Amino acid sequence: MSQCDAIQESIGRWLDGELKATDSEAVRSHVEGCLACGAARQRLEKIQTTLGGLLRAQASQLEFAPFWREVRRRIDEKRPWHEELIERVQSQLTAPRLAWAVPAAIILALGFISYAKWPLGGQVSNYASVESIDTHGRSVALLREDETKTTIIWLYQDPEGDNENVEEATKSGPAF
Amino acid sequence: MWKKLRNPVLLFSLVFVSAASWLHAAESAPQSVQVTVRSILAGSKSDEFDPKLKSIEQQLKPLKHRSYRALKDETQTIPWQGSKAFEIPGGRSLTIATQEFQNERIGLKIRLTQGDKPLIDTTVKIPNRGNIILGGPAHEGGSLILSISAATQ
Repeated sequence: MSQCDAIQESIGRWLDGELKATDSEAVRSHVEGCLACGAARQRLEKIQTTLGGLLRAQASQLEFAPFWREVRRRIDEKRPWHEELIERVQSQLTAPRLAWAVPAAIILALGFISYAKWPLGGQVSNYASVESIDTHGRSVALLREDETKTTIIWLYQDPEGDNENVEEATKSGPAF
Repeated sequence: MWKKLRNPVLLFSLVFVSAASWLHAAESAPQSVQVTVRSILAGSKSDEFDPKLKSIEQQLKPLKHRSYRALKDETQTIPWQGSKAFEIPGGRSLTIATQEFQNERIGLKIRLTQGDKPLIDTTVKIPNRGNIILGGPAHEGGSLILSISAATQ
C-alpha cells in the first residue's frame, strides 16, 4: 500500500475530525502537497456537501412525533415476566462467566460429594465396624459402647474345648 | 477480553487440578499400617487395675471384670496388603492383614488361632488411630482381652 493509498483511506476520518492531532497534521500536509490526494479530498467534500444538503432538505419533511411515540410506548410497555427472566439469564451467560462457572460448579459438586467422606465433614463413624465374623461354631457377642465409641467382640468359650479354665472364663464373661 | 481472561482461568484450572490430585492422594492407600496388639488378662478375683492400662480404662469398663493386667504389648508395621503374625499369651497367634483404606478407616482381616485351631476369623474396619477390642479366650483363670489398634504411616 502506497502512502497515497493510506492517506486516501484516512481522508474521510480526517474530514470528520476523528484522527489524532499528529495523524491529522500528517494527512493535512500530505493532502496539500499531493494532487491525487487533494482531488480525493475534494471528491469527498463534494459528496459530504451534497448529502448534507439533501438531508437538511428532507429533515424538515420528516415526522419525528410517531418515532418518539413508539420509543415511549416501548419504554412503558409491560413485558411478561418470563421474557425478562430469559433476557436476564442470557445476559448472565456470557462466555467469560461460563468459563468461570464450569470449574466452579465442578468444585462445588466434588466438595459436596467428598463432604461425607472426610473425617470432619459428615457421617464418618468413630466406631470400629465388624464386616464379617466366623467363630467356627463358638458363640460371640458384639458390643458398641457409646461413651468411648468402642466396639468389642466377645468370644464365648466352647464348653468342650479351647482348654484352660473354661468354667472360670464362662463365669467371668462380660455382663454387657 | 478472552486474552485477559485466559491467564486467570488457566491458573484457576491448575489450582483445581492440583487440589483434586491432592484430595485423591489423601484418600489413596497408605504405604503401611502400624498395628499394636495389647494383651490384657481380665479376672474377677481381685480389684487390681494395671496403671499401664489407664489409657483404655474407659473402654474396658463395659466388660465388668474386676481386675485388668497388661500382659504384653506388641507393635508391628504391616506393609499395605501384607500380613503379620502377633504372638499372644497362651500359645495363641493373631494374624492381621491390611485390606483397604477408605474414609479414614483401615480395613483389617484378623485371625486368632490356638495352635492349629482357628478361634475366630473376622474382618473389621477401624478408624485410623483407633482400636477394636477382641476378648473372651480363657487364660490363667481369667479372660484374655486383646486391644488391636491401627494407624496408617
